[in-house]
Amino acid sequence: MINRTTAPGLEAITDIRYVQPQVTKINDFSSLFWMNRVPDDTVRIELHFDAGSIRGKKSVAALVNAMLFSGTESKSHKQINEELDQLGAYLDHEVSLEKAFVSAYCLRSNAQEVIDKLAHALLHATFPQREIDDMVREKKQNLRVSREKVSILARQEFQKQLFAGNASYARFTEETDFDEISREDLLAFHEKQYKQGLKNIVVVANVEQKIIDQLLQNFGACALQQQTAYELNLQNQKGIFRVEKKGAIQTAIRIGLPVFNKKDANYTDFLFMQTILGDYFGSRLMSNIREDKGYTYGIGSALVELKTTGYFVIATEVASEVADATLKEVQYEMERLKTELVPEEELELVKNYLLGQMLKSADGPNAMMDLYLGVRQHQLDFSFYGEFMKQLAAMNAEKVRHAAQKYLNWDNFTIILAG
Amino acid sequence: MIQFERFTLNNGLRVIFHKDETTPLVVVNTLYDVGARDESPEKTGFAHLFEHLMFGGSVNIPDFDAPLQRAGGESNAFTSNDITNYYDVLPAQNIETALWLESDRMLSLAFTPKSLETQRNVVIEEFKQRYLNQPYGNVWLELRPLAYKRHPYQWATIGKELAHIEQATMEDVRAFFAAHYCPNNAILCIAGNFELQEIKSLVEKWYGDIPAGPPNERALYMEPEQEEYRELTLENDVPSDAFYYAFKMPNRKSPFYHTCDIISDALGGDKSSRLFHALQKDKKIVTEIQAYIMGSLDEGLFLISGKIAPGHNFEEMDEALWETLNELLLSGIEAKELNRLKNKIRTAKEFQEQGLLNRAMNLSFHELLGDADGINKEAEQYAKITPEQFLQTARMLFQKTQCSLLKIKAKKS
Repeated sequence: MINRTTAPGLEAITDIRYVQPQVTKINDFSSLFWMNRVPDDTVRIELHFDAGSIRGKKSVAALVNAMLFSGTESKSHKQINEELDQLGAYLDHEVSLEKAFVSAYCLRSNAQEVIDKLAHALLHATFPQREIDDMVREKKQNLRVSREKVSILARQEFQKQLFAGNASYARFTEETDFDEISREDLLAFHEKQYKQGLKNIVVVANVEQKIIDQLLQNFGACALQQQTAYELNLQNQKGIFRVEKKGAIQTAIRIGLPVFNKKDANYTDFLFMQTILGDYFGSRLMSNIREDKGYTYGIGSALVELKTTGYFVIATEVASEVADATLKEVQYEMERLKTELVPEEELELVKNYLLGQMLKSADGPNAMMDLYLGVRQHQLDFSFYGEFMKQLAAMNAEKVRHAAQKYLNWDNFTIILAG
Repeated sequence: MIQFERFTLNNGLRVIFHKDETTPLVVVNTLYDVGARDESPEKTGFAHLFEHLMFGGSVNIPDFDAPLQRAGGESNAFTSNDITNYYDVLPAQNIETALWLESDRMLSLAFTPKSLETQRNVVIEEFKQRYLNQPYGNVWLELRPLAYKRHPYQWATIGKELAHIEQATMEDVRAFFAAHYCPNNAILCIAGNFELQEIKSLVEKWYGDIPAGPPNERALYMEPEQEEYRELTLENDVPSDAFYYAFKMPNRKSPFYHTCDIISDALGGDKSSRLFHALQKDKKIVTEIQAYIMGSLDEGLFLISGKIAPGHNFEEMDEALWETLNELLLSGIEAKELNRLKNKIRTAKEFQEQGLLNRAMNLSFHELLGDADGINKEAEQYAKITPEQFLQTARMLFQKTQCSLLKIKAKKS
């Protein structure tokens, strides 16, 4: 008879075998990273540009990024897409606050041609007026739909209040923005932030050196010519801000405040503490607000990193009648962490959970590359993780309580209720 | 080729083992042959509610999540109209924790009143958040009963109505478990760096003593052939008019399935697709349009959906849509276009198979279809499609008498 009441023994998660990508310096400000231990035919190529939404006129960054493949002097939008689709390639392109990226996914057999087509489309984009009109129409429509969602309304208000005093960070796209943007604006932004704004090229593929050379040949000239600056003095507006949405049966809640990123000495302690609070399925917030009270389908917290700093945020959507009760429970859980010591069992569980997550983050060439980029963007390397795991092993209840007391001051938070 | 081994326990549990020497993780995937289609029409939403209850403690283990997290792992699940699938991902050296947890909840759940209460509330919140409080959230709640008049596919996994979930009793829930959550109704797939012998002994150790349950005697109402065009218009609080065309299509095991899939790509899979060009780019009648299929185990649906651009109406869109479909039915497709579609499918498949979890889930699903090796035959199924087959299948699909159309009209404020 097997014993089903006792858990099987556990083995410790010890070392992680890191695989360093090959680094080719393009210039002092730009590099190419190549992971070539890929056991299949997949090719992932990613280009990172200093073309985030903080750059340029309001909403130009988003519009340019959306239109990168909309046509050149010699090829139409339709042609560009068809040629890349014919090669079986998938494109992805997005803008965040501090950067923009373009990715291409294809098979090895087509890599050379895909890069040619990608370079042509991207570098010679002309933003034809007809395409601009189409894209603006589409974007306005999408905005109309998102305005109905309480989660979007909460996110926007949170952005506004968290980054108060930092106009380029606090702003978000509104329909009227597009009426102020001309084709010249798009061309100028593209010239500066794409054709002279390349930060990194990322390659995850088992390809030959000539593919790397081809990428450098095509995109090397776009490398940044100077250090990029991120002017961010993160001072949030404290207090509760309500956004009304008639007829909403749920309320979206965001609770956050500025903290820091990986470079800070307090990073690991804070990360661990916030994991206990809200960053895994068994967290204090999940156990209380979802499992015990049934107020929500999900509640979580995260430490969001930026180039020079970072912020902490708790997010959820709850039944509107319990929105204020939810705030009380969140506050209650914060107080608990500041006063009580976390039991040994819970500490061990979260340590192991985070170690398991680390293992997952290093599993396979794409994950390994993302792990590397995660430290490289802060001018760190894999040794960061070695140190991180050591600090995890040494984590104790006092450190957790101390971190909670230092950072979880309710009066310092920006609190948004939308719905 | 995705290599695997297969064995079956005495209690009927089908086991697939896929060896991967490159990963430090192990995936333990359990697919139960039960979905929303197995519910009774007065008690819908159960398979999904059940998925939640499976995390509320089993007969010997009061808490599922904590032991798994302690082992450095994580878990999730999903329910569809056809299946319920649970997966655990954890460091390989701790595989026994996952097997202990999964086998115990297959043996029996804890069935505590608190667990039922909590998960009931969570599911109610999910119903509101995803289906009631989102623009267009109600689409599947309305489209399914339009397309299916007798078959259980007529209700969505979340359930027909909140009331069914609100009224679920402990007896109902126990009965559902007894009928469906047994080893002979499950497929277990383990993927990671192990040897077959190890896996065989571990699985026998943890699952061997679980008694077989009743045989799965599924007897569902067959959907009678649709012989008339159906249409339903709703006025909702949404920012723009939306349309959902649902054409009847063959089931997942049909030899026509893959052709239907590639037809959906040709029509509305990406920016090179025909509907995107005709209706969005050229005529600007829509602001978005997509075509996709349900991979249902019983008769499925081929969907064309999208949103109408301001200043345009349903009639214009409908005319342009049928014009594009008829052009396809008249002239078919050429080899070059077909190759383009096949190339994209090849790329997508190669990327998907990078994921250990993806491989485990696919192996499980193909085993349910009849043979796990089906996963290795998929590529060929797409590669061999000819322009003639494409045309024939399209003609079979796009008949107005096989179509159910849901129109969501934006309420004028």
